[in-house]
Amino acid sequence: MRLTVNGTEYEVDVTPDMPLLWVLRDELNITGPKYGCGIAQCGACTVHVDGLAVRSCQLAIGDLAGGEVTTIEGLAQPNSLHAVQEAWIEHQVAQCGYCQSGQIMQAASFLDLNPTPTDEDIDTAMSANLCRCGTYPRIRAAIHAAAKKLQEA
Amino acid sequence: MKFTASLCLAIAVATGALAEGADLVIAPPAEGSVSKQVGLEAWARIYEVASHPRCANCHTGPSDRPMWSGPTYGKARPHGMNIRAGESRIGAESLLCSTCHTTKAEDWENANEMPHAAPRVAMGWALAPVEAHWFGRTSEEICAQLRDPDLNGGRDVLEIAEHLGHDLILHWAWAPGGGREPAPYSLQEHVDDILIWGVAGYPCPDT
Repeated sequence: MRLTVNGTEYEVDVTPDMPLLWVLRDELNITGPKYGCGIAQCGACTVHVDGLAVRSCQLAIGDLAGGEVTTIEGLAQPNSLHAVQEAWIEHQVAQCGYCQSGQIMQAASFLDLNPTPTDEDIDTAMSANLCRCGTYPRIRAAIHAAAKKLQEA
Repeated sequence: MKFTASLCLAIAVATGALAEGADLVIAPPAEGSVSKQVGLEAWARIYEVASHPRCANCHTGPSDRPMWSGPTYGKARPHGMNIRAGESRIGAESLLCSTCHTTKAEDWENANEMPHAAPRVAMGWALAPVEAHWFGRTSEEICAQLRDPDLNGGRDVLEIAEHLGHDLILHWAWAPGGGREPAPYSLQEHVDDILIWGVAGYPCPDT
């Protein structure tokens, strides 16, 4: 079975019902996406498929349908971080950091859908990404900052 | 709301995604062969399906919040995680339904076995249109909506039956998996009831 992750094509020998998260972590050693719950309740495994956020624990590799996968490892450009990553560092969002790759991937996809979000918009989009450290106020601030960066870019 | 020659039509909808694992047959009774009373009895069964949590939870009308309710959910409450389907009804304004409700292959029959996981079907997950408001509504209200072409997507009874055959997200209601209670009867029985009700003249409890 073939798939493209962060611009690189891979071939894996797995069953079609294996979740994408398992393929990424156990077959390709791409460990930025985290296993949190395995049932789409926490968002720690969020990646992009063709630019849209997807919980990789819920997408079977056989259902990828040729979609191009981007993980946190592939979000940045070679010489510059994504605006969301820059804002995350500037606002020192992460505490333990376990959920952060999922948070960043969700936020980056969300800002493509809504480039000028309100607090309520952010809460609506990000409520399905859980953070046990409670960094939500800084997540919200960082998303506002990233939105501003993207507008000015 | 009348239909004539098309009533003789029997349509076999070939789909491997039927909960029963068989093809759906759309075979309406002959026009004039169904009394109002029998039509009302069919409607009562249709209402059992339409008001069941597997169907009504995503028919929330003006609200863009899908619901979580049913025997395995305890008290009815809005979908967790502050989910809003928006005007798009697919969450395109904030968080797409497809972020968690991924699209599965049609022939993957046990895709929803895991309790509490996001259900998936072989098409995009979505909230029903605003006009199809069923959650918390009475039999009379849902009946009036479903027989009104202005509120049912412009469908006559055959088209409602065909919609049930083609729209794979609806089939999930009879095979929800994950310990969820399925909708009553079967998809075929539900389609048969729709056709009986239509041939009877779409009677509603208050008419």
